[in-house]
Amino acid sequence: MITFDNVTKSFGSIKALEGISLEVKNGEFVFLTGPSGAGKSTVLKMILREVLPDSGKVLFEGKNVAEITTKEVPFLRQQMGIVFQDFKVLFERTVAENVEVALAVSDVAQDEWEKRVKHVLKLVGLSNRAKLFPSQLSGGELQRVSLARALVINPKLILADEPTGNLDWKTAEGIMDLLEKINKEGKTVIMATHHEGIIKNSKHRVIELKDGRIIEN
Amino acid sequence: MSIHTKTAIEAIKRSPFQAVSAIFVLALTFFVATTVSILVYSSSKALSYFETRPQIISFLKNETGSDAITALQNKLALDVRVKDVKYVPKEEALEIYKKATEDNPLLAELVSPSIFPASLEFSVTDLKLAEEVINEVKNEAIVEQVGFTANIGGEKSLGDVVGRLKTISYYLRVGGIVFVGALAITSFLVLLVIISMRMTSRKGEIEILSLIGATPAFIRSPIVLEGVFYSLIGVISGWTLSFIFWLYVSPSLLSYFGSIPVLPKEPLSFFLLFAAILGTEIVIGFAIAITGSLIAVKRSLKKAR
Repeated sequence: MITFDNVTKSFGSIKALEGISLEVKNGEFVFLTGPSGAGKSTVLKMILREVLPDSGKVLFEGKNVAEITTKEVPFLRQQMGIVFQDFKVLFERTVAENVEVALAVSDVAQDEWEKRVKHVLKLVGLSNRAKLFPSQLSGGELQRVSLARALVINPKLILADEPTGNLDWKTAEGIMDLLEKINKEGKTVIMATHHEGIIKNSKHRVIELKDGRIIEN
Repeated sequence: MSIHTKTAIEAIKRSPFQAVSAIFVLALTFFVATTVSILVYSSSKALSYFETRPQIISFLKNETGSDAITALQNKLALDVRVKDVKYVPKEEALEIYKKATEDNPLLAELVSPSIFPASLEFSVTDLKLAEEVINEVKNEAIVEQVGFTANIGGEKSLGDVVGRLKTISYYLRVGGIVFVGALAITSFLVLLVIISMRMTSRKGEIEILSLIGATPAFIRSPIVLEGVFYSLIGVISGWTLSFIFWLYVSPSLLSYFGSIPVLPKEPLSFFLLFAAILGTEIVIGFAIAITGSLIAVKRSLKKAR
């Protein structure tokens, strides 16, 4: 599903990625790990086409992400569900409305929204929080909102950038359980994390980065 | 309700004073625009009235035969100095009198067509030729008397009126366009500032929407809707205030100007005129709102990238 072919990226004099080549197949759960500044987020941003490689290719389902036009970028992103470390929820909308936004963005028919939102909120355990605002939720609940928003569009790929970074261990475990469940349903998950405990507890493939290079795959 | 309409309404509720500012400026612009439109209409109608009225009336002797009248009418029609020749028989003259005295019908009942002379009405192509034409017509056998319709102090008086009206009309148009234009630009800039402020306050939201796959059209739709909402309320408010004003003053104006049709006398025509102005203003208001919103959004999205 995802292929990095000798990808290099620099930000000024800092080499963020150097000669990265990797492949993620459909249905895989892959951890991207490494210390801060290793290049984990840069890898995810390249898949999202937030950042372009200086050289090399990033392929999503066989298509070179760097070659798609600016107009096509939203449609690329609509095929992916993204979970962020800082949740990135819309604070002026309710939980249900936050999830609905993803459906609206993907142009899903409005008469389907209620059913899909209910289903995905039940999946993440927020059915009784649908009408609350983000300011009324805990960190773990906010991350679940982010996850629900990522899942509601039924994406092929989930990108999670340090989704447990701001959470306590127990809450982090809850989020991991959900991601595992999603992966078991056949979705590809790429999760950037530096949390050793989480990686050890899950028996998934690990790609370790350091100073922009892959040191373990 | 669509998600964009909901977003627009929520944004307006969060910053009501910005909404009021935008609406107020737009309402002022369109109040002035409506008022200026009516003034331009009235001046055009007044100008047209004086331009099309016959300048010279040659009253014919009683018992003049129709052959002689026709001969003189044809002679005048062929004269290159003369235009718009019209024969007014006695009966028509009576009708004109009745219309002029419709406030006092008793006056009309006291007269009959026989006391009104028939006449040939015409205008000259150039007012400088008026005196020589009048003198020639006075010498015609069947002509009793020649007079001016304006009839105030000399052959150039109607020309003076027309000239003055033309000047007033011109300055009204130019001044109106400049003034309304300045207000329209102000409205546009106020909208631009308000929408830019709205985009700045939504910067985080826009970033998130962009990351989850929102197209630029999705991001800008609620903003453009908001601008359209401001313009619609502004146009309708401004137009309504102006409409009420003209409704209030029109009876006095119509009475003062008498037969000069500065405003439509028929209620339906009056409302149709204002409806046409409203329709035009809505289109212009939407154009201002949509252009301003799109420019503000484009600049903000560019900065965000």
